[in-house]
Amino acid sequence: MTTMTQIQTTQVYQVFIQASPEQIWEAITKPEFTEKYFYGARIELANGRRIAHGPAGELWGDEAVLESDPPRRLVHEWRSQYDPELAAEEPSRVTWEIELQDGGVSLLTVVHDQLEGAPKTAAGVAGPGWMRVLSGLKTLLETGKPLTS
Amino acid sequence: MRLVTDDDRVFKALADPTRRFLLDRLFTRDGRTLTELESELEMTRFGVMKHLRLLEDAGLVVTRRSGREKLHFLNPVPIRLIHDRWIDKYTERQVSALANLKHQLEETA
Repeated sequence: MTTMTQIQTTQVYQVFIQASPEQIWEAITKPEFTEKYFYGARIELANGRRIAHGPAGELWGDEAVLESDPPRRLVHEWRSQYDPELAAEEPSRVTWEIELQDGGVSLLTVVHDQLEGAPKTAAGVAGPGWMRVLSGLKTLLETGKPLTS
Repeated sequence: MRLVTDDDRVFKALADPTRRFLLDRLFTRDGRTLTELESELEMTRFGVMKHLRLLEDAGLVVTRRSGREKLHFLNPVPIRLIHDRWIDKYTERQVSALANLKHQLEETA
């Protein structure tokens, strides 16, 4: 038995958000929302791509959209272009699933997988990376304010 | 129906050594079957299932199907939310108390 934490090639994150699926969809596909919780990234979907720009307009990501079924399901490639070392790794895949629950609540599931060829990305986005994004997204949608910490 | 911020369930789920052990096992390697998890515990399959169900209800474990297998994944988001809601609040005060102390000591020095 090893005590080392292995690279998680499939990562699953889930959060309940007091918002409609449409609101969540907007918040993950419109730059004016994403810049408030996604490390300042302005993310948009255009021509079958998911494009991310940094605060100074630098390109942070340009990934193929593999599936888009608003407001329920979005699947896209993941390549961390903001860091040359991570960008050199093979692309992985991110799936967003949005399900309406009772009481005006939606369940958002993010699955980041196909990380076999991207161990540094797996280690870097795991845990704090996605959690900060999802915690910030929830706070933004429920309070209208970005998470400041 | 599960509440949006059901901290009670998370705290309750964490208040048991077997369930914390299961979370630690998933932290080390995610995406395990019930059979794998069961093999590391001296407990009946039914007992392990009950613990996993409680963890699932608290949102700490998410199951996904992969072919014929049901895989269990650690979902750390509820712990992060509790951290943001509870831990940060109290540690921040301690940190600012220390910062004030430093400030006072430096002023009188």
